[in-house]
Amino acid sequence: MTQEIKVIHQVLEGDTESFRHIVERYERPIVRMIKNITNNRESCEDIAQEVFFTAYRKLASFDPAMSNFSTWLLTIARNKSINAMRKKRPVSMSELPHKSDAHNPSDELAESEFFDKLDAGLEALPSAQKRAFVLVEFENLSYEEIAQLEGVRIGTIKSRINRAKKKLANALKEIRYEK
Amino acid sequence: MKSEEIYNTWKERKSQIDLRENFADEVMNQIYQYERDKRRPLFDVQRLIELTSAHRFVKAGVVTASVVAGLARIMFVVYNFLAC
Repeated sequence: MTQEIKVIHQVLEGDTESFRHIVERYERPIVRMIKNITNNRESCEDIAQEVFFTAYRKLASFDPAMSNFSTWLLTIARNKSINAMRKKRPVSMSELPHKSDAHNPSDELAESEFFDKLDAGLEALPSAQKRAFVLVEFENLSYEEIAQLEGVRIGTIKSRINRAKKKLANALKEIRYEK
Repeated sequence: MKSEEIYNTWKERKSQIDLRENFADEVMNQIYQYERDKRRPLFDVQRLIELTSAHRFVKAGVVTASVVAGLARIMFVVYNFLAC
């Protein structure tokens, strides 16, 4: 039995304080994932708080035979992020930042503009592609874990990630060559 | 700076987060509050008042139900009086 499963059993037996171990272990990955999916720095911690609260209330429904605890928790975070994004207006590719005055990536002053453009490119990705990209690139999850979390086949995840990477690569190319 | 470097720096920047120090305390406080609420009896008058006053529609529902009950009672009394 892993340490994590022991903690879960303790919580289910009434030792509420043990849940703090889970919060402290996962707070950073959960907040980071929500921030990168929703692109909302202000509310990502509030959403993360909801994630942990929901996880606590539904802890009895967690089945170690079905998934890892981290995958289960990330699934809750994914669902909460999707709900939060539904309340936001989607950004289209045409709304990406306009071309900058600095065209050479070696120009340090332009660096933040390149990042802004990549941020906007990420924000403009279709929701499913964006989630897959964030989970593999920022959370270092495996394709299998993402497929389980999203409830789709591994091939679908690979395809979503490839498409997302192509779009972001194009955004980078635009930065290099636009005039 | 090459595209790859730009991308890696951006990725690194996206991986950094500033989390408020008391985040875990806030989560645990919410959970303890939930546990306290769960232990309170279902038909606690104080809880009922809190629930009623917290939601506009519940408040309106309680007032409407009271008015309907009052009218029904008046009609019942008047009907019995006339029947005598």
